[in-house]
Amino acid sequence: MKKSACHHRWTMTNLHGGYLVIEGCFHCRHRISFFSQEPVPPIDDYQEGSHFWSHLADYQASQFDLKCEKCSTEVPLKEIMALMLCVRCNPECGVYAAGSQEPDRQTWVYVALCSDTSHTTEKCIPSESLNALNEYLNNGIEDPAKRIAVVPCSLRKFVDTCQGIVLADVGLTELY
Amino acid sequence: MKVSELTQKTTLKAFNEGTDKEIKGIYISDMVSDIIGIKEGHLLITLQTHKNLIAAANLVDVAAIVFSRNKIPADDVVALANKAGIRLLGFDGDTWSLAKKICEIGIW
Repeated sequence: MKKSACHHRWTMTNLHGGYLVIEGCFHCRHRISFFSQEPVPPIDDYQEGSHFWSHLADYQASQFDLKCEKCSTEVPLKEIMALMLCVRCNPECGVYAAGSQEPDRQTWVYVALCSDTSHTTEKCIPSESLNALNEYLNNGIEDPAKRIAVVPCSLRKFVDTCQGIVLADVGLTELY
Repeated sequence: MKVSELTQKTTLKAFNEGTDKEIKGIYISDMVSDIIGIKEGHLLITLQTHKNLIAAANLVDVAAIVFSRNKIPADDVVALANKAGIRLLGFDGDTWSLAKKICEIGIW
């Protein structure tokens, strides 16, 4: 089938476990995240340019890609470190607004977390990844009033006060 | 089989009402990061009562969650499950005993 004409039917592929590792720079106070597939997540401090990155936390998590069952198109989701459920803690937040667009449906907003937690660059999750993930997660939901919306973490207003629930095994591998 | 039929045929206790969904499969896991990979409509059997579990279970649209070994979810966990329409059930015995019971009564 011609890929551009395909109404994709996504399935999960390349599912693998690992660690969501969060590091912070004590110099500029920025935070970054990455997904580690090492048997033990790295905890060493290191210098990168003007940054001095220190380990803050790590949680067991999983990553996966999507593949269309009909045309075999694959969408890698490696830019997504983890998903986080929005609990609507701040009406001024862009993620909150994303959950308010369809008042007649119950929209559950999940935030796709990228590696640049503090968003010092303009880059976040590519729209192609988000579109495929939204199609995949909404396909098969029984309740017609329920909708899943996955949005980029660049919409989040404040990282420090965000009360969202990260889909990771929080607490199992914390060092402190 | 609907969740309500399962509760009638076993000795599961209910922590909330939730939606009476069709059970399309059964999955046993205690890891939030593992649950993300299951298909919709599964009955999830777990020891884990953390709120993160509900966030993951809602994403994959589980039929219901059974907490084995007499685990009791906290009020905020039940509240989130209520909002998501996820039925929360409890089983006094261990996970293996529940799995055997489900097989013995011919549900699976």
